[in-house]
Amino acid sequence: MVFSSLTFIYLFLPLCLFLHSITKSDVFRNLILTVFSLAFYAWGEPMWIYLMIFTAFFDYLMGLLIEKWHGKPWSKIAVTLSVIVNLSLLISYKYGGFIWDNLHQLFGYLPFDRPMNSLPIGISFYTFMAISYVVDVYKGDVKAQRNPLNFLMFISLFQHLVAGPIVRYKQIFEQTNSRVINWTRMSEGVTRFCFGLFKKVVVANVAGALVSKYLDIGFNDLSSYEAWFGITLFSVQLYFDFSGYSDMAIGLAKMFGFDFDENFKHPYAAISVADFYRRWHISLGRFFRDYVYIPLGGNRKLQLRNIMIVWLLTGLWHGASWNFVLWGFYFGCFMIIEKLLDGILQKTPRILRHTYTLILIVFSRALFYFTDFEKLKTFVVNLFYSKNPIGAGFQTDVLEHTFWFILVIILCIPWDEIFDENSKVRIQTVNSYQYVKPVVNVALLFLATLLLVNSTYNPFLYTRF
Amino acid sequence: MIKQLNSILFVLSIFLMPTIYFIIPKEKVSEDEKRKLATIPNLTVKNYINGYWADSVDNYIDDHFPFRQKFIDLAVIVQSYKGIHLEHQEKIFVGNKKNELQQHHQGKDKRADLNYLADFEESYNGSLIIIDGCVYPMGGGNVAMSKRFSKMVNEYAEELKGEVRVFSAVAPLSSAFMPVEKYAHYYGQNKRTLAAIGSSLSSDAYFCDVFEELDKHKDQRLFFKTDHHWKPLGAYYAYVAFCKAAGKAPVPLEEMDKKVKYNFLGSLYQKTLDPTVRANPDTMEYFVPKVASTAEYYGEYGFNNPKKSKVFYHSSSGGNTYSTFLGGDVPLMKINTTTKNGKKVIVIKNSMGNAFTPFLISHYEEIWVADLRYSKQNLLDIIRKNGINDMIFAVGMYAAMSDGTINMMRRMGKQNGEYIPPKKVVVDTLKSANPIVEDTLK
Repeated sequence: MVFSSLTFIYLFLPLCLFLHSITKSDVFRNLILTVFSLAFYAWGEPMWIYLMIFTAFFDYLMGLLIEKWHGKPWSKIAVTLSVIVNLSLLISYKYGGFIWDNLHQLFGYLPFDRPMNSLPIGISFYTFMAISYVVDVYKGDVKAQRNPLNFLMFISLFQHLVAGPIVRYKQIFEQTNSRVINWTRMSEGVTRFCFGLFKKVVVANVAGALVSKYLDIGFNDLSSYEAWFGITLFSVQLYFDFSGYSDMAIGLAKMFGFDFDENFKHPYAAISVADFYRRWHISLGRFFRDYVYIPLGGNRKLQLRNIMIVWLLTGLWHGASWNFVLWGFYFGCFMIIEKLLDGILQKTPRILRHTYTLILIVFSRALFYFTDFEKLKTFVVNLFYSKNPIGAGFQTDVLEHTFWFILVIILCIPWDEIFDENSKVRIQTVNSYQYVKPVVNVALLFLATLLLVNSTYNPFLYTRF
Repeated sequence: MIKQLNSILFVLSIFLMPTIYFIIPKEKVSEDEKRKLATIPNLTVKNYINGYWADSVDNYIDDHFPFRQKFIDLAVIVQSYKGIHLEHQEKIFVGNKKNELQQHHQGKDKRADLNYLADFEESYNGSLIIIDGCVYPMGGGNVAMSKRFSKMVNEYAEELKGEVRVFSAVAPLSSAFMPVEKYAHYYGQNKRTLAAIGSSLSSDAYFCDVFEELDKHKDQRLFFKTDHHWKPLGAYYAYVAFCKAAGKAPVPLEEMDKKVKYNFLGSLYQKTLDPTVRANPDTMEYFVPKVASTAEYYGEYGFNNPKKSKVFYHSSSGGNTYSTFLGGDVPLMKINTTTKNGKKVIVIKNSMGNAFTPFLISHYEEIWVADLRYSKQNLLDIIRKNGINDMIFAVGMYAAMSDGTINMMRRMGKQNGEYIPPKKVVVDTLKSANPIVEDTLK
């Protein structure tokens, strides 16, 4: 199931909210949330649920053992075993076909058939959550969860299950045992959810339809303008799709008494690639920082190598295909270049740094979009040198989406960074907005419902990972 | 206070819709879309495990959402505020690219109860464009496939040399005649594709220049707005092209009985379910030659148990309006007419040929109609045993642009009633001349 479906908004959510609110018993609430989360996961594709339940119970036991043997060599063995098992499952389900293809190409013959698994939804997210849990227990950062039900709930919580954010156990371990639900949380959650839904349905889906038009259908006749237009729209789609999902996840978490960390902070306002990734999919960056980069030596030894390793892995995390590895390599290179040229960058005017970042990011979306290298090559050539004339449809599309583009730009501007918390304008705006907020939220929900009832195009991009 | 209000308003909203659902009467059929609304199957272990039940519930909620039609109409208005309006309203309906999730959600089609939707989806999975409520496929075939189609026709012409005249009458796509300048390249593309069929036919085969004939009348509406077939008028001009190639005098339209059917929402509407398309249903004028005829049809295999049939089913209506001709697609049909000239013809067709065939009753005493997808009888047997004089490939471009269908037509001369599963044809889209169309015209 996805958040932006009528089934979720008008059947699943009301039922779950109702049952969750009729009792104050934490045990009952956790039970409700777990059952609903499993139903959410199993909706339409129940076969992989066993895998997730296995992961949850395996890591639950490992957590207990690691804590029991704390300080002893056994503890290290248990954490290693747990990480190996988790990664093996991820690799075999997500990368099995990819590895087979490459080996097959290398040797020409393999004694076994290509694994035909479809990717279990959310596996990239929950596997990382499980790994972060056992490692944190090993490091003594957090106490192991005693109650298997609570741990299963943590892993399977429908708010983050399908497309993140990658929630760390230490952020919410108190809330898995006992939660406070009050009007403030509920109201914040509602506002956040409605805004996320709006971003997804009104911005990302509209961008998505245009992206298909330029990058799939009209792919061969693109002029350079259109190629940049298409790939910029894909950047818009990706951001609003994914951050919209994260907003909905954070909002839904709040409605049920959980506080998730932010996953996006106006990424398109970044002034360097490093800055961009401090603002984009923050929970993933943090995971790689804490569990790969720092253990490798961080900035203390072989920093440049560490950066490259982290980025190649980040690329691979996004998909089992070489274009994602290339994508990771691309960013690894720019991260390293930025490190080396830090002095020069600092002296460069802000506007130039911002432009440089945006161009690099938008260009990188091509590596993300085209899994086929031949297509990628054609497209990149078109970006810089295309003999095709501009299609007449280009102007029409720009005009017909004028107001929508203005909306997109307004939503990408980091207003909360321009006006800091003490600024008069901000305080006044926030105060007066309070009064219209309930109406605006219902209006956004209504608008999204309209478009969902009428929709034929509503996939979430990030559930692929 | 504001916090409470904010929370309560939201919760009320999401509870309101399900409540209304239980209050208002439930409909089983959508009058507007001429289809049954989704139902929820019984919950069984199998249904649940394969995801069918959950999909059905999703479809059910989509279909039975309170005030659904009003929501859809309103959505169209809301969407028009995205920007500045232009002369033509356009919308792209993306067909080819489905990600896993979408496939998952659309997997079991709730609209399959319509005659020609499955037919259309089988032959075309590309994108569609909606201009002012009229749907066009985005494509126009390609020369490489034209040559392969002609090769197959040439093989028949060679085989039947001296016995039977073999004609090729392939229809263009409606994209050839789009009213908007910026899509003019589809005109050229269709033209090139069909001309390439002509230029690669051998001297033994006859080429009907359908495109040229339609092009002369492009100011008239030759294709449906809401369906992937041509209108009977388009089929008539194809018939004129055939007559020119065959040295016959076409019967003028005025000498036939003109009949009209209204409110036709065809396969392309079913496919897109777009409100602007729904607002522009087709009117179908059709022409009945003043020649009496009887007809019977056979199953996929053999010639046993023929069933009675007709050339015109005047009572077909609604989504099935196009079934007026020959009653829809049957594997093999035989028509006897009062044109007592001893001439016999066989038409190899997909559904495009259905509107074309009735015009032939003015010229032939016996007409055989074989559907390239369903007939498993041996074509050469039929031709030789019945002493057939002419053979016409009257197909839509969809059928001429895929190796799969070309091979089906080739097999018709070799098959003997047994079932031969079609080979899967993988087209390397990047290396071919026009990958988009290769992609879309499978």
